[in-house]
Amino acid sequence: MELWGRLLWALLTGPGRRAGIPGWISSSWQPHRPLAGLSSATELVSHWTGVFEKRGIPEARVSSEYIVAHVLGAKTFQSLRPILRTQPLTPQQLQCIQELSSRRLQRMPVQYILGEWDFHGLSLKMVPPVFIPRPETEELVEWVLEEVAQRSHVVGARGGPLILEVGCGSGAIALSLLSELPQSRVIAVDKGEAAISLTRENAQRLRLQDRIWIVHIDVTLERSWTHLLSWGPMDLVISNPPYIFHQDMEQLAPEICSYEDPAALDGGEEGMDIIIHILALAPQLLKDSGSIFLEVDPRHPELVSSWLQSRPDLNLSLVAVRRDFCGRSRFLHIQRFGP
Amino acid sequence: MRSRLLWGAARCLWALGATGPARRPLSCDTPPLEELFARDGSLRTFLERQAGSGALVSRPQLASAAKLLSEKEGELREIEHLLRDENEDLQKLAENEIALCQKEITQLKQQIILLLVPSEETDENDLILEVTAGVGGQEAMLFTSEIFDMYQQYAAFKRWHFETLEYFPSEIGGLRHATASIGGSEAYKHMKFEGGVHRVQRVPKTEKQGRIHTSTMTVAILPQPTEINLVINPKDLRTDTKRASGAGGQHVNTTDSAVRIVHLPTGVVSECQQERSQLKNREMAMKKLRAKLYSMHLEEETSKRYNARKIQIGTKGRSEKIRTYNFPQNRVTDHRINKSLHDLETFMQGDYLLDELVQSLKDYADYESLVEIISQKV
Repeated sequence: MELWGRLLWALLTGPGRRAGIPGWISSSWQPHRPLAGLSSATELVSHWTGVFEKRGIPEARVSSEYIVAHVLGAKTFQSLRPILRTQPLTPQQLQCIQELSSRRLQRMPVQYILGEWDFHGLSLKMVPPVFIPRPETEELVEWVLEEVAQRSHVVGARGGPLILEVGCGSGAIALSLLSELPQSRVIAVDKGEAAISLTRENAQRLRLQDRIWIVHIDVTLERSWTHLLSWGPMDLVISNPPYIFHQDMEQLAPEICSYEDPAALDGGEEGMDIIIHILALAPQLLKDSGSIFLEVDPRHPELVSSWLQSRPDLNLSLVAVRRDFCGRSRFLHIQRFGP
Repeated sequence: MRSRLLWGAARCLWALGATGPARRPLSCDTPPLEELFARDGSLRTFLERQAGSGALVSRPQLASAAKLLSEKEGELREIEHLLRDENEDLQKLAENEIALCQKEITQLKQQIILLLVPSEETDENDLILEVTAGVGGQEAMLFTSEIFDMYQQYAAFKRWHFETLEYFPSEIGGLRHATASIGGSEAYKHMKFEGGVHRVQRVPKTEKQGRIHTSTMTVAILPQPTEINLVINPKDLRTDTKRASGAGGQHVNTTDSAVRIVHLPTGVVSECQQERSQLKNREMAMKKLRAKLYSMHLEEETSKRYNARKIQIGTKGRSEKIRTYNFPQNRVTDHRINKSLHDLETFMQGDYLLDELVQSLKDYADYESLVEIISQKV
C-alpha cells in the first residue's frame, strides 16, 4: 500500500508523462502482492478521489468514479454491476485507470479523458478542442421538439422540418434533433475543421448521416453563407453560439480555457458577435414565420431584444424567453414575421 | 338433451385414448373460491338475489354467465346418474363427459369472478419497485441484492421493461437500497402483491460459526401514474443540481449530473445519478417522484375505502411481514395465504414458481374482494 502510493506519486508528480512507463509499471505490478490491497473498483475510486482532492482537482469523487466506471465498461459508477465493484481488477485495467487519472491531474475535462459523453440520450464521441455540450443545451433541444410537435398539428404532415444549425461542434444538437424527428433534415455548419469532422463521425456512429449535411463555413465572413440558399428556405435555425463576454474568458476554469476551442466560447465584448451574425443572416434563409432558437447568457435576452428593435428591417421579433433548470434566462425563441 | 349427450359420448368413444384423466385446473390449495360457489353458498344467494331484484339487467354478461352456470350444473347432475349404469362403456363415457362439464363450469366460475371483482384503477399501470435492506446488516443487504435480481428476472420472464433508477450497493456486493421502473402488460396487477417485509433465514456468507440468522428487507410497489392520474404544478418543484451556483451554460464544465427534485408542499424528495445525461437523470427522478406522490394519494383513498381487507395488498402492507425464505428447509412461505413452495433456488430465479405464487395471491385477493362485495350488498 505504502509502496504503491509512493510509486504512483513518483509517477504522477514526475515531469510530464514519461514514455515507456507502462512497460515497467505493469511488469512490477504482479510480484508485489501488497498492491492487491488496492484493487477493487470501490477502493480505486476512493484512492483517486483522495489524490485529486490533494491536488485541488474539481469534482474529485465524480471524476474518479467516471474514470473507473468507464474502464469497467459502465457509463456511471451508479450503474456499475455490483459484482464489478468488489472484484479485483486486471493489471491492464489498473494501468488504464492510472493513465486516465493522470490526465485528470492535468485538468483535462472528464469528457475528453473518456473520449465520449452523453447528450439527450445519445452517446457522442468527444475530442479536444471541440466544444463539450453542456446540460443546459439538452433543454434547448427539448424546447425545439415541443415547438415542432405543436406546429406539426397546424401545418399537417408535409415531411419533417428543414433545420439549420450554426456552430455544430460535436453535432450534439443536430444529431439529437435528427434522432427525435425521423422526418427532419439538418444542415450543420461550423467554422472549425475539428468540429466538422467530429460531427461527421458522430453522425456515422449513430447512423444519422443520410439526413445531415455538414458544411464547413464561417458565418461571419461576407456572403459565405450564400450557398446555403440552395437548400431552400429553412423552418428553423438553431444555435448554441459562443456567448461568453470577452472579459469573462480569463475567469474560466483550466478545464475550459486550456482544452476547449476559445472560438466556440468567446462571443466578443458583449458576447453578441456571433448572435448578431446569425440574426442578420437568418431572415434570408428562413421561411415566413420560421423560427430561431438560441442558447444565450442570462444578460442577453435584454440585449438581443433592444438590438432587434434597432433593426426593424430584419422582420424578427423575440417571442419567448425560457429559463434553464437553474432558473437563469437561457433560451430565446425569435420569429420571423411578414415579408 | 339426452341425445346430445349420447352423441358427445359416441364422439369420445371414437377418439379412443385421446382423452386422459380429468385434470383440475385449479390447484388444491385454492379452495376458498370454490367454497363461495358451493350450493346455498353466499355467492349463490347473492347471485340469485341480484337476479331476483333485477340488478343483473344492467350486467348482461354476468346474468348470462350465472344462467349458463346453473344450466351446466344441472347437466352435470344428469350425467352423474349415468355413472350408476351397468354398461361399462357408458360409464366410461359419462366420466369423460363429466370431466368436460367440470372444466366448463370452472371456466364459468372464473368468468363470474372476473366480472364481479372490480379491477383496480391502477392495474394496467407501470410501477416503481423499491427495495431496502432491513434488519441484519450486511446479510440483509446481500439478500436485498438477491431479491432485486429476482424481480429483474421476473420482469424478463413476463417480458416487461425493467430500468434501474438508482442502486446503492454495500461494500461486500450487497444492496442497501435500489429502485427500478417496471412497465408492461398488467405489471402492477401482478407486482402489487410483492410489497411488504420479506424475511430470510439462513447461514450468512459472513457467518463463521455456522449459525442461522434471520434478516429482513422491504419491498414497496408504487403504481406509476399516467399524465391524467396525477398533475403536478411545476411551481411546487425545486430541482437541485451541482450547476446551481455560478454562471452555468458555457461558463462551466461540470460532469456531476446528479439531480435531486423536491416537491415543496409535501417535502417528498427524489434523486437520480444513474446517467451521464442530466436531462435523463431529471426524467428518472421525476418518474420516481410522481410514483411516490401518487401512491401517497392512493393510500389515502384506499384507507378510506377498503378498511376490512385482510390481504394487505400494494402499498398498504409495507410494514407487514409477508414472506419467509428459509434456506435450510429449502422453502418459501407466503404468510398471507399460508402457502409454501419447496424449491427456493428455482423460486429465486424469478420465473414460473414466483409466477405461481403471484397467481395464488391474486386468486386469494379475488376471493377476499368477492366476500366483501357479497357482504356489502346483502
